[in-house]
Amino acid sequence: MSAPAIQAVELSRRFGAFTAVDRVSFEVEQGEIFGYLGANGAGKSTTIRMLIGLLAPSGGRATVAGHDVATAPDAVKASIGYMSQKFSLYLDLPVSENLRFFGAAYGLEGKALAARTAELLERVGLTGQGEAITGELPGGLRQRLALASALLHRPPLVFLDEPTAGVDPVARRTFWSLIRELAAGGTTVFVTTHYLDEAEYCRRIGLMVDGKLVALDTPAGLKRTWVPDQVLVARGQGLARAAEALRRLPGVKAVSPFGAALHVRVDPARLDAARVAAALAAAGAVAPAVEATPASLEDVFLAAVDRGAGGVAP
Amino acid sequence: MTRQGLRRSLVRIGAMAGKEAIHVQRDPRTLALALVMPLVMLVLFGYGVSTDVDHTRLAVADEDGSEASRALVRAFGASQEFEVVTRRPPAAAEGLFRAGDAVAALVVPRGYQRELLQGRRAEVQLLLDGADAMVANQLLAKADAIVRQESRRLAGLELAALRPPVQVRLWTQYNPAGRSAFYMVPGISAFLLAITAVMLTALTIAGEWERGSMEQLFASPVGRLEIVLGKLLPYLALGLLELQLVVAFGAVAFDVPMRGPIWLLFLTGLLFLVGMLGQGLLISVLAKNQLVATQAGTLSAMLPAIILSGMIFPVENMPLPLQLLSRVIPARYLVHALRGILLKGSGVAELWPDLLALTLFAVAVVTLATRRFKRRVA
Amino acid sequence: MSGAFAGPAVLARELHRRFGAVVALDGLGFQIGRGELYGLIGPDGAGKTTAIRAVAGLIDLDAGEVRVAGLDPLRDGAVREKLGLMPQQYSLYRDLTVEENLRFFGRLSVLPRAVYRERADRLLAITRLAPFTGRRADQLSGGMYKKLALACALLHQPEVLLLDEPTNGVDPVSRRELWALLHEFVEGGMAVLISTPYMDEAERCHRVGLVHRGRLLLEGAPEALLAEFERAGHAAPTFEQLFVDRIEAAA
Repeated sequence: MSAPAIQAVELSRRFGAFTAVDRVSFEVEQGEIFGYLGANGAGKSTTIRMLIGLLAPSGGRATVAGHDVATAPDAVKASIGYMSQKFSLYLDLPVSENLRFFGAAYGLEGKALAARTAELLERVGLTGQGEAITGELPGGLRQRLALASALLHRPPLVFLDEPTAGVDPVARRTFWSLIRELAAGGTTVFVTTHYLDEAEYCRRIGLMVDGKLVALDTPAGLKRTWVPDQVLVARGQGLARAAEALRRLPGVKAVSPFGAALHVRVDPARLDAARVAAALAAAGAVAPAVEATPASLEDVFLAAVDRGAGGVAP
Repeated sequence: MTRQGLRRSLVRIGAMAGKEAIHVQRDPRTLALALVMPLVMLVLFGYGVSTDVDHTRLAVADEDGSEASRALVRAFGASQEFEVVTRRPPAAAEGLFRAGDAVAALVVPRGYQRELLQGRRAEVQLLLDGADAMVANQLLAKADAIVRQESRRLAGLELAALRPPVQVRLWTQYNPAGRSAFYMVPGISAFLLAITAVMLTALTIAGEWERGSMEQLFASPVGRLEIVLGKLLPYLALGLLELQLVVAFGAVAFDVPMRGPIWLLFLTGLLFLVGMLGQGLLISVLAKNQLVATQAGTLSAMLPAIILSGMIFPVENMPLPLQLLSRVIPARYLVHALRGILLKGSGVAELWPDLLALTLFAVAVVTLATRRFKRRVA
Repeated sequence: MSGAFAGPAVLARELHRRFGAVVALDGLGFQIGRGELYGLIGPDGAGKTTAIRAVAGLIDLDAGEVRVAGLDPLRDGAVREKLGLMPQQYSLYRDLTVEENLRFFGRLSVLPRAVYRERADRLLAITRLAPFTGRRADQLSGGMYKKLALACALLHQPEVLLLDEPTNGVDPVSRRELWALLHEFVEGGMAVLISTPYMDEAERCHRVGLVHRGRLLLEGAPEALLAEFERAGHAAPTFEQLFVDRIEAAA
């Protein structure tokens, strides 16, 4: 078993009296697609900044690509690729110029640089866009370019911070197929996202709430642990009004809108689909149709955050 | 506009101005620029960069050697500006200049006293090291004054009753010592008001565009005029405060007088500021980008205020094209007017052309800026 | 809400606009009624932001017309009293606190002090921003910031609310809170035009318009569109699948 790509042990960071990251420990294996989730302000970005060597930890330690983040941050930076949340390439430069610039920053030059640039453009599906001005590209293509620039120096590990924020579903799919290709080729991918449907593509997921790592498991494992109860999906008219009444029903753990429908988490011992449908109808819903549905990561997320905020334990 | 509408407008302008005041407070660099810099500049220019010519080394070649010529040389030596350091023949003057042993040489030719006694005009020669034009000019003026003084003394009591020529009187009365601080304070005021008004305005308005908040403002009930007034009023107040500070500091530290009416001082400052604020607005409307706005502001307001306004370099000494260019620089009129008000006690009667020029500029710029300031993001 | 105008809250007809060589709007049109939540979805660069800006009167049009509560936003300043906007860019004042930002926008609408206080308190409570009124906007997390921006846009209780990808970069929990707030106002009669990259949000709208290259490809109630999609023989019809399918077909 090869050494883990990332190893964090009791990693902590304090800002004055505020603890942003509280003794976080986990390991990421090589070639794994590892997802890192959490609410805004939960400590995700701070953790990532520590892992990539931009911020010194207040406590604990972490090893990334074989280097200690506290003692050798420069070595860490040289060994990883990083795609930041905010687009950080030059909007007024053409696509290929951006790649050449960042490639040169990593020490590539001459024929090697040109070859690598062309190779990456093809890899991310931007062949022929070399002369396009970066700022004029649609969001999805821009993100692909940013990914390419993070891969210039063939790092064994890449950090992607919300790489598909604001990108449409088609472009997002394309992007994730790129990520899967990367991982298949042996690159470790550490990714954060608010699109929980994307998180399903990760092999394992870490979930942060209020600075603590409250969950670390495969998507299936997370669902088993956090949403062991039944999840029912209810469709129909007038659901929004009926939802309030439903929440008060004993045995109902949570009611959340999911698209046009409602996800209802229930204690399977006390309630089933039929009973929930009846309750909805009584509360004013029209033609409610309720059936079981597999739990989604969003259900997990809501349950975990709920618990962190003092909600109901699974 | 109805009274209700006016009241609402005032509330909105107040909201914009209040927000601007918070921004200025929260960004100490802006305040430092506006308040500390004037004082620093005044100190620098007032004490450090003195263009006063004291104790200028004067070589004297008295070929007449008479009572009268010696009296003349004594008059020069007694003045603060000249210090007689050597007595040499005129041929040696150039060598002295080059060696730096003297900056000026006075040559009294043989026959000076005889000419005077015969009731004719006597000429003396003043050689100046013209390498520094400003210094040379001042020396010339002072030498001229000394000579005239001497003339009057020689003419005796008969002429004492006659009114002396206006030129000399002006010169001695308004700036008897020719202190450069007196000369500079009006110029520095213009420069600082130009910075505050143009640069800070350009920065704040271009900043809204750059940040994306201008889009939000355009979609709110606030009108364009309200946006402009609200954002610019705090800087108008700041500019007037600066003017007060500079004049007060000048009076306290350098004895710069305040001889004219105060209300005129502030009216002139106000007219100038409105024009500068309009210029700042125009720049930011065209640039929509802080970096470009500051560069445009520097080029179009700060540099002309320093170079073409008469602040340091007298306009009269400039080549004709630059003199003409100076006519469209508002700072020129402000400097001229401020000098009049502070040093000469001039009033509206003397300064109305400057006021008119400032008003015309303000109206033109504000009109142009308003036309270009459209409620569109694209 | 006065509701004096009888026609649609928002009317956009045959909108055309190009920027240089790029055609942003190519005949786009739609109508939104009172109390209706209309979602604009589409690939990046489809023209969603341009459409929203056109409705807000922030860009000139090459052709076509827009009416908000019967008024032309390009010509009639009164529109802005009825309109609320939350642009995609971060447009609040970063060095101002939560309370200062709110108060500023309240004053722009000339709200009487008591009215402002009541509404602000309510909005602060719903968005759970009440404990943070003294915090500067640049120190808020992404979700909190967007909630504040929404609160600022709702202060004057607009008849029409325009939202350009309001939940980008917002975590799932805050996203729900934003939507809960939206729903409340929509039920009160507010018309909402919202563009979003989230398909589950599209499903929560009353009607959805799929925009591609500046024109409307598809429009209708999400359930109806999905039902039709299913009838056309697609096995596991999700809204996302519908989106992908239609866009790829149009390419």
